[in-house]
Amino acid sequence: MVVVADAGTLYGLLAVGAGLATGLAGIGAGMGEQGIGAAVVGVVAEEPGFLGKGLFLMLLPETLIIFGLAVSLILMFAWTPFSGIVTP
Amino acid sequence: MPVLRLPKFGSPVKYAYITGRVRAMKTKLVPAEMYARMMNMDMSEIARYLEETQYKDEIDALSKDYSGVDLIEHATFANMAKTFRKLEEVSIDEPSFLILEYLRRWDVWNIKTLLRGKFYGATDTEIEKHLVPAGELSSERLSELAKKDSITDIISAFDGTDYSSALAQYDGKNLASLENALDKLYYFRMELAVGGTLSVGGGLLLKYVRREVDIRNLITLFRMNKAGVDAAVILENLIPGGKLHGELSRMAGQPFGEFLRGLEGYPFWSSISDIASVDLDAVSRIEARLRAYLIRYAWALSNYHPLSILPVLGYMVSKETEVSNIRKIVRGKEAGLPAELIEEQVVVA
Repeated sequence: MVVVADAGTLYGLLAVGAGLATGLAGIGAGMGEQGIGAAVVGVVAEEPGFLGKGLFLMLLPETLIIFGLAVSLILMFAWTPFSGIVTP
Repeated sequence: MPVLRLPKFGSPVKYAYITGRVRAMKTKLVPAEMYARMMNMDMSEIARYLEETQYKDEIDALSKDYSGVDLIEHATFANMAKTFRKLEEVSIDEPSFLILEYLRRWDVWNIKTLLRGKFYGATDTEIEKHLVPAGELSSERLSELAKKDSITDIISAFDGTDYSSALAQYDGKNLASLENALDKLYYFRMELAVGGTLSVGGGLLLKYVRREVDIRNLITLFRMNKAGVDAAVILENLIPGGKLHGELSRMAGQPFGEFLRGLEGYPFWSSISDIASVDLDAVSRIEARLRAYLIRYAWALSNYHPLSILPVLGYMVSKETEVSNIRKIVRGKEAGLPAELIEEQVVVA
């Protein structure tokens, strides 16, 4: 069988992929939240009772990060590419 | 004329805070059904009702100086000035610029009040009572101006500002042409400051302002065509810059029936079609309907562009209308006008 790559490089690339999955999801959620956060602060300044609903709306984009995080965790722990690698 | 231009393209996120805030503030406006109930209240009941709303602080603060109608009128104006100042203070960049540009109409209002007051020999304190410091001119500056001795002193105090060209038209005899020039200047300035920019917010504000100019011109046409005024005089009184300016100027001086037939098919026609007839008794009914149409237009535009200046604009227009409605009701009741007549004047969008 042919050696695909050495285990260290492959594991490194996996780690980069996992990092990108969580990191990009975080940036995306942040961009989504900037407007919501500003609007919620604006409403709460007038209606303090809106804080609970406002926080809920703010947390909606956060759920996207969980998808990213799940992909990262799968990449790092659940999927084991090393099974197919035969070291010489 | 020195005019500040918008510095850069507007990003919708800049509007998130201020639109969120005005949408919350909108819920605190007096609901439309309250106007009908106010008709049946006496003055102290209206004051008491207003004390339960956003006007509480002003009613409390002014109740030692005024009472009855004056109290309500001054409290509502003071509250409006405070609210508009707040809007300007809590916004930055483009929203702040556009809000101030809109609020300059209150500077024009104040300048008119100052000049009228001096023209008819009112005292400083009397004039100061009727000033609404909602625009760029602060209340300190306004009271300083109110203390000036004569109209020419006030006019010279504005030397070097945008208003000087309009104020230079004062001929010492009447204020009508000067007031007309101030109105024209306001819309001209708005077009110059906002129209040259590629920003979405500026363009939308201008779209609304063009419609407003059209509506104002239309009201002028209704009044003057009804009275059979000469076309040349009407044209002098029309404000340039509206979207339908060409079409409306052609209607100047037309016989009333023909004028009404010409209006069919315009977007505002549906809001006045049931009362606009040749034997129309009071143009003020048409005026109230058209004002209501403008408010609906501002809010309708803001639904297409939720993160823009339009919700703020819609709020400012609604607030101005609320204050003028309350004023109409209390002044009308004080003068003993029949309830139906007051009801016709109240603008409900």
